[in-house]
Amino acid sequence: MANRREVGDSTEGLRIGVDVGGTFTDMVVASPNGSIDVFKVPSTPSKPDDAVMAAVEKAAEEFGMRQDAFLRSVSHFIHGTTIATNTALEGKGARVGLIVTDGFRDFLEIRRGIRENPWDHHAPFAPVLVPRYLRLPVKGRLDAQGSELQPLSVEDVAEAVRTFREEDVESFAICLMNAFLDGTHEREIAAELESEFPENYVTLSSKAAPILGEYERGSTAVMNSYVGPRTINYLRALETRLAQAGLASPLLLVQNNGGITSVEEVADRAVNLMLSGPAAAIGSLNHFAESIGKNSLISMEIGGTSCDVMLMNEGHVNYTDRLQIAGYDIVSPSVEVHTIGAGGGTIARVDEAGLLLLGPEGAGARPGPACYGFGGEHPTVTDAHAVLGRFVSGPYADGAITIDASRAHDAIDAHIASRLGVSVEEAAIGILRLMDQQLVLAVQKLSTERGNDPKLFDLVAGGGAGPLHVVNVARNLGCQRVYVPRISGAFCALGMLGSNCRHDNMRFFRGILGEVSPDDLVDGLLDLRMEVIDKLLREGFKEDEAIVQFTMDLRYVGQQWDIPVPVDLPIEHDRVRSTFETMHEKLFGHVQTRGAIEVKALRSSATGLMEKLMQPRGAQTAATPEPGETRRIWVDQKSGWMDVACYSGATLASGHAFEGPALIEEQTTTLLVGDGDHVTVDNAGNYLIMMADNDNA
Amino acid sequence: MRSQIDPITLAIIQNRLDFIARQMGWVMIRTSRSPIFNQSHDFSCFIADAEGHLISQADGIPIHTGGGGFAVEAILDYFGDDIHKGDVFLLNDPYVAGGNHLPDWVVAWPVFEGDTLIAFTCNRAHQSDIGGGAAGTYNPEATEIFHEGIRIPPVKLVRDGEMDDDLFRLLMLNTRTPHLLEGDLLAMIGSARIGAEELLKLSASQEGGLRSAFEGVMDHAERKMKHLLQNLDDGEYSYEESFDNDCFETRKIRICVTLKKSKDRLTVDFAGTDPQIKGFKNSSLANTYSAVYAGIVSFFGKELPRNSGTFRAIEISAPKGSLVNPNPPAPVTMCTVFPAHEIMHCIWFALTEASPERALAGWGKNSFPVTSGRDRENRTWVMYNWSACSGAGATRTRDGFEQIGPIVTLGGLTIPNAETFEQIYPVRIHKQELRCDGGGSGEHRGGSGVDYDVEFLTDVEMSFRSEGADRPTGVGVCGGGDGKMATMDLRNANGEAVAVPDYGNVTLGPNRMRISSPGGGGVGNPAMRDAELVLRDVRDGLVSIEAAREDYRVVVNSASEQIDWPSTRSLRNNADSR
Repeated sequence: MANRREVGDSTEGLRIGVDVGGTFTDMVVASPNGSIDVFKVPSTPSKPDDAVMAAVEKAAEEFGMRQDAFLRSVSHFIHGTTIATNTALEGKGARVGLIVTDGFRDFLEIRRGIRENPWDHHAPFAPVLVPRYLRLPVKGRLDAQGSELQPLSVEDVAEAVRTFREEDVESFAICLMNAFLDGTHEREIAAELESEFPENYVTLSSKAAPILGEYERGSTAVMNSYVGPRTINYLRALETRLAQAGLASPLLLVQNNGGITSVEEVADRAVNLMLSGPAAAIGSLNHFAESIGKNSLISMEIGGTSCDVMLMNEGHVNYTDRLQIAGYDIVSPSVEVHTIGAGGGTIARVDEAGLLLLGPEGAGARPGPACYGFGGEHPTVTDAHAVLGRFVSGPYADGAITIDASRAHDAIDAHIASRLGVSVEEAAIGILRLMDQQLVLAVQKLSTERGNDPKLFDLVAGGGAGPLHVVNVARNLGCQRVYVPRISGAFCALGMLGSNCRHDNMRFFRGILGEVSPDDLVDGLLDLRMEVIDKLLREGFKEDEAIVQFTMDLRYVGQQWDIPVPVDLPIEHDRVRSTFETMHEKLFGHVQTRGAIEVKALRSSATGLMEKLMQPRGAQTAATPEPGETRRIWVDQKSGWMDVACYSGATLASGHAFEGPALIEEQTTTLLVGDGDHVTVDNAGNYLIMMADNDNA
Repeated sequence: MRSQIDPITLAIIQNRLDFIARQMGWVMIRTSRSPIFNQSHDFSCFIADAEGHLISQADGIPIHTGGGGFAVEAILDYFGDDIHKGDVFLLNDPYVAGGNHLPDWVVAWPVFEGDTLIAFTCNRAHQSDIGGGAAGTYNPEATEIFHEGIRIPPVKLVRDGEMDDDLFRLLMLNTRTPHLLEGDLLAMIGSARIGAEELLKLSASQEGGLRSAFEGVMDHAERKMKHLLQNLDDGEYSYEESFDNDCFETRKIRICVTLKKSKDRLTVDFAGTDPQIKGFKNSSLANTYSAVYAGIVSFFGKELPRNSGTFRAIEISAPKGSLVNPNPPAPVTMCTVFPAHEIMHCIWFALTEASPERALAGWGKNSFPVTSGRDRENRTWVMYNWSACSGAGATRTRDGFEQIGPIVTLGGLTIPNAETFEQIYPVRIHKQELRCDGGGSGEHRGGSGVDYDVEFLTDVEMSFRSEGADRPTGVGVCGGGDGKMATMDLRNANGEAVAVPDYGNVTLGPNRMRISSPGGGGVGNPAMRDAELVLRDVRDGLVSIEAAREDYRVVVNSASEQIDWPSTRSLRNNADSR
């Protein structure tokens, strides 16, 4: 990794973040002088690197530089990629062979019977990633303490190798019973596979996810080998293409844990890229926390199909390692992102008994909302905005989209209003109320349910559609302030630039707090520490620069869910217990005094801080801004229809301040501010909104 | 009363109520102690109005559907005006308290708007142990409800905000697992409290309170159910299921259901069902209603709400003294599994006759014991052998799930990892793999079921409650075949076979048990199944080459593992012409 100290003079040290989305590829370029530029190009789903290169070309042109000179001046090129997720969603992964313990050929297909909604029992499971005839058993067994009951059968391994060869298997996964306690058998098999198939991807469950539970561990190993080859080939090809075009620093990637790393470090852990895009929101929150002057923030990034919510509490974002993506269960250290299927393209309908429903079905990028005129007939959230005056007929997003409000009106009339017996406007209001309710519930899921009062947080809008909802959602939640970055449309691409390097690892542990020797705990934690520190060293950090955090997964005996409790060395049982009890009380409202506490896992993480992005400083102005026009807009439930001042974002500068209601049209997004809310354009050129009704006392 | 609520507000409130019920479930899962809650989700959270009508049950296992209303009605009957802020109710008895069976305890938290009772937030949850004749709540030797554990009428567990410690001690003394029950009861109360708080917040934001909103929610559900019924042909549709024993003797015991559909009403008549039996497979009235509701809702699909409004169009007639509405003191603990499974099958297959395009095949009946023992501290552990669960039946849109949680949970019960069980119980699991030819044949194949092989390393007691080992139970429909029946084999440490009763307790030392679980039924003519799918099943070892030829009329060359197309076409053409 390029040394983060190499940020040089003004022609050097550009930082680039690229987020490849379903419709657009966003590129954010941060210059050492603090300026931030956004470039949007259409995505090229079949060959995503084409769009990345197109964005580079566009940016170079804008900077008035040749592409090679432009790329040479880049110190950090950071990429959030959806390729791993899309590979799984589209079923385009490798042909995987799985080796399992004799007697356990089918955990991958049984999947513990986990279905999200039992009532939806007419729906099949997502296709199994390895067919049964490529899930091959080998004898050899560990007991529940990790001792060998039966040696590994080399004959069975050889037989599996023969079958894999005949079947042209492209990559391999190994998941043996109780291998989370001892990975020796798995390593022996891997060595055999690697000598037989030196070019192919091999994933060991004991390495990829050393957790208790053969299904989740095996599912993770299989997914890693399924998406790995295509993902890594793409990344290596992109890295080569960028290098040939002039990039001198390595390509960096955002992992599920929100930390960045190099292609080399992630090459055998492609599954750590399943959340590569949304996880970057943590970088945006890091960055904006400075300009807001507050580090308890909730971001709500809304695009065309979904909304991603992230919560930062006093600078800390929750981590989890259980993910479900495209119907597959995966274990990978990840920032906690709560995603719901609610976006601008989400479709509203009325059931046969007269109930208004919203989503989760969406109109996607094509045909999209009815008002886009691409052939969409079903009314969407965006159509509701158009009916309520938040969008008017005409071009948006630099002409990529042309809105026709009459189509929105017709779609809502035909599918909603006439069926409910209400006016088109009332129907549109209903759609938005349902949308905002879903957003409120999504935020509450991460806040209230985790013992965090949303009133104490500022809401940060992201995504093209976020700024149209954020103020009303904040009002419903009782938040006092809202922050809308001018480039909220490129929220995650920006976040990549605010990300640090981070590596996580964990190991299974078994013991009762107070009974286990603190030395055993410390030894385990220090082993873990060494591994993550090594990774940071390879990425150019010094040992004393690494910020190490230790965590123990704890629960009362009998519970099935752990609380990850941060701990410091040396381990003092009383202090650990008291931290656990404080967290249990906050989460669940009670503690069991003297209840025995089990230690289930040890974790460590090592963070290497990247140099912070400069906070841009716009020229200050004291003048009162002039709205471009005044438009009739439905503002919110309380205010109803009002004459609303509409501003072009380009006319607003740092220091501008005014009262709502107001509509602000930016290049990639539109912001709606309620009656009496107070808007200031801050030093960074972003919008800080003080909510009128919510008690600021 | 018809609700005056506007359609937009209705939609908002419906979502909010469902969210509250799910939130209650979330609290329960994360704070409870017994695997039966936090792994198996054997509980449900629901909101009832002040009259006991069920308003939302967004969270919960299907076999609790709609039954909670009986419990709240019982509280209202017992306590009348003596229901106050700060009270929390507890009950379980199926004969006097609207319970479904004794292990399912209901905690109910009355919610007041000012001084007016508006609702109850409730939690019905299966306790780990409640005394009775066998550890783990299932006593297959019970002949009276008194053998099944402690009976609790509606009582105030908390009065005016104060826990009744005397009562609490009484409860703790009547369980083999007080270390679990204490935490679990607190979790139940905590979850009901969260529900009450959230409901009050909703009420405060709703002009005129929640009463008319509750009506609106139920009215919508009623319209939805009636709309579905209107689109079915009027007529009578019947199905008869049966047990092969009464837990003591082999004999056929019938459960008969006749659906009478007329316009937008449906009558479910159990006339012809056999009288109540000696063993614990009698169904309490609450359970009979729940099984009917679960069968109907699961037949029509996920969008049908599950509140009292849905069920206004449905009338249930269960003859007094019959298996599905027994007189006390008949034992009933098994009812949430058997005959709930049979009742759901009857509803599904009768409705399949009325609406074959929605056909659902039968799920294999579980045939594994509950195993219990003592740990080193002499505490009782109870292990459900969920890893031996059955295969599910097919539908028109999918093959049967190969192995899935019981039908009464619609598969919502999560099957454990073998590794987890090896950590928490003295067992070694040797095998859990899909059966060959286990699933019923069909255009959509039934789920295979599994071969399960487990070694118990210490002394144990096995409580058998098997229904799927005497004949195929995963019934095929619309031309589909039945899934295979279960086989069971129990051997002591010397490798000698130990007799396995269909129902009954067996105590023995270290042992090894092998169960092949029953497969699910198929839907549609197997000769119509996509031949490539048949080939995939053959390659996967789930369908034998012989079955491919005999049942599916697909000839697979065993050496090349390819379809022999000419032979297949000729076989399939012959099949068509027959």
